[in-house]
Amino acid sequence: MTAVSLAQVLIAGLQAGGIYALMALSYYVILSATGILNFAQGEWMMLAAVFGVVLIDLGVPYPLAVLLSIVAATAVALTAERLVIRPMQARHASHGMLLLVLFAVLIVVRHTTAHSFGPQDHALPGPLPEGALILGNSLFILPQTFVVYAALAVVFLLTWWFMRHTWAGRSLRVAAIDPIGAQLIGIDLGRVRLLAFGIGGLIAALTGWLYGPLFAASFSMGNAPGIKGFIALIIGGIGSPLGALVGGLGLGILELATARYASSLWSEAVSFLLLIVVLLVRPNGLVGTAEGRS
Amino acid sequence: MSGGAVLQARSSASLPGRNPLLIVIAVLGLLLPGLLDNPYYINLATNATITLIVALSLNLVVGYSGQFALCHAAFYGIGAYVPALLATRWNVSPWLGLVVGLAFTTAITTIVSIPVVRLRGYFLSVATLAFGYFVEIFVRQTTEITGGAYGVNNLPILVLFGQPLRGLAYYFFAAFTLCLIAVLLTNMMRSGVGRAIVAMRDSPGAAAASGIHVTQMRVLAFVIAADIAAVAGWLQAFLDLSINPQMLSPELTFVWLFMVLIGGLGHPVGVVLGTLLLTLGPNFIGAASFDRALVVAVLMIIVALFAPQGIGGLFDYILVRGRERLHLGGTA
Repeated sequence: MTAVSLAQVLIAGLQAGGIYALMALSYYVILSATGILNFAQGEWMMLAAVFGVVLIDLGVPYPLAVLLSIVAATAVALTAERLVIRPMQARHASHGMLLLVLFAVLIVVRHTTAHSFGPQDHALPGPLPEGALILGNSLFILPQTFVVYAALAVVFLLTWWFMRHTWAGRSLRVAAIDPIGAQLIGIDLGRVRLLAFGIGGLIAALTGWLYGPLFAASFSMGNAPGIKGFIALIIGGIGSPLGALVGGLGLGILELATARYASSLWSEAVSFLLLIVVLLVRPNGLVGTAEGRS
Repeated sequence: MSGGAVLQARSSASLPGRNPLLIVIAVLGLLLPGLLDNPYYINLATNATITLIVALSLNLVVGYSGQFALCHAAFYGIGAYVPALLATRWNVSPWLGLVVGLAFTTAITTIVSIPVVRLRGYFLSVATLAFGYFVEIFVRQTTEITGGAYGVNNLPILVLFGQPLRGLAYYFFAAFTLCLIAVLLTNMMRSGVGRAIVAMRDSPGAAAASGIHVTQMRVLAFVIAADIAAVAGWLQAFLDLSINPQMLSPELTFVWLFMVLIGGLGHPVGVVLGTLLLTLGPNFIGAASFDRALVVAVLMIIVALFAPQGIGGLFDYILVRGRERLHLGGTA
C-alpha cells in the first residue's frame, strides 16, 4: 500500500463520493420537505445530460446548453410532482404505494428516453479541457474531478444555508415536521412541495453535467448514482445535509478502497452491505439525529 | 373513525370467500390450456401460472401483512438456484433439491427478516431492496459456484412417478401446485394466524394489545411468502431447464409488485386478474417488440391515480352495484 496508490484511491473515491453526495443532497431536500424518498431522482440527472448532448449537437453554445438542459430536466421533475405525486399525497397514499409509483415514473422516463434517444453512449464535454494532470510521478487527476469537488462544496454550503437560515428553507422543514401547524402559520404546502422538488431536481440535473463528462451520457446513466445517492443519504443520516455529505464521500472512498485493496468485484456489493448494517445498527445514520425519523 | 371502517370493510372483502362460482371459473380456466395444442401457448400458460404463484405470495407479504418488501426476486432466485446447482453439480434429485432449497430459503429469510421487520416505512423497503441487490451481485460475482452472469443450463427434466414432466404435463403440475398453494393460503387467511396478520397490518397497536406478537407474525408472513416464491422459482427453473441472475434482479420484484397493485392489493381475485392481464395480454395483442416494463409502469401510474384499489376494487364496485340493482328490482 504505497502513498501514491492511497492518494489515487482518495482522489477517485472523493470524486465518486462527490457525485453520490450531490445526489444524496437532492434526495435530502425532497425528503426533508415532503417525507418522500423520490426514487426517480437519478432520472432527472440523466435527462439533463441527455438534453445537453442533444442541444450541443444542435450547435447551442456550451453555457446556454448547460442552462437550458438543467431548466428542462427540472421542469420534468416539477411536472412529475404536479401530475403524479401531489394527487397521491392528497389521497394519503401509503409510503409503499408512493415508492412504487415513483419507481414506475423512473421506468417510464428511462424507457422513453431509450426509445427516443437510442441505447448508445454519447460523449458529454466538461467545462475544462480534458487531458489528465499528472502530479509527481504517477498521480493522475482529471480536471473534471476538480469541477466535481468545487460543485459539491458550493451546493453543500448553499443547501445548508438555505435549509437552516432562509425563511423558505425553514418552511420546508416545518412543512415536513408538522404540516397542519405549518399551514396555520401561513405556509402554503403546495408551494413548499413544488419548491422542494424544484431544488431537488435542480441539484440532480446539475449532477448530470458533472457525472456525464466523467463517463458518458446515456439513458441508463441515472441508475447507479440514483441508487447510491439514497444509500449514501441513509448511511449518513437523513436528518441533515451533513449526513448526505458524510455518507456520499464515505461511500465513494469505501467503494474505491474495496476495488483497490480487496477485489473490484466486491466494490459493487459493499454499499448494499453497508446500508443493511447501518440500518440495523444505527438506523438514524452515522451523523444522524432523531429528527429525520418518522 | 371512518378510516377504520374502510379498512375493516377492505379486509373483510379481501378475505377470499368460498364463492362456488369463482372456484368453478378458476378450475375451468386452469383446465382450458389442456385444449391447446400449440407448445408456445402451453409454455405461456405455464409461465402465467408460475407468475400467479409469485403474485399470491407477494399479496401475502405486501397486501395482507402490509410490508413493502422489495426482495421477493431474491427468494424466488434462491429457490431456483439451490436445487438447480445441486442437480447439475452433484446430481441431487430436483425433489430433494426443492426440500433443501426451501430449508435454505426459510433459514435466510428468518435471519434477514427478524431485524428487518422492525424497520418502518421506507427503511424496510430500502433495506430489503439493498438485500435484493446484494443477492444478485453475489450470484453474479461468485462465478465458480453459480455460473455468474450466464447462469447454468442443462438442468435435468423433472420426473414424477417415472414420467418426465414437460409440455402439457408440466403445465398441469404447475396448475396443481398453484391450486394447492391457493387453498393453503385461503385457509391460512381464515385461520387465527391469517386474521392476526391482517389485524397487525390495520392496527399494530391494537393487535399487540390483544395479545398478538407483532414481530413474530411479521416474520411468519415474510417466511411463508418467501417459501412460496422459492417454490415458484423452482418451478420456473425446471420449466426453462436453465437459470440466470436475471431471476434475482430487483427489477423483477418491481414488475411483480406492479402486477399485484394493478390487480388490487390484498384482493386475491383482482391479483389473479391483474397478473393474467399483464402476463398474457401483450402476447394477445401480438406485439413482440413490445416494451413490457414500460407498459406495466404506465398502467401502474394510471391505476395509482385513478383506481387506487386496482382491478379488484373495480370488480367489487361492479358487484356491489349489481347487487343493489337486484335488490331495487326486488322491492319495486
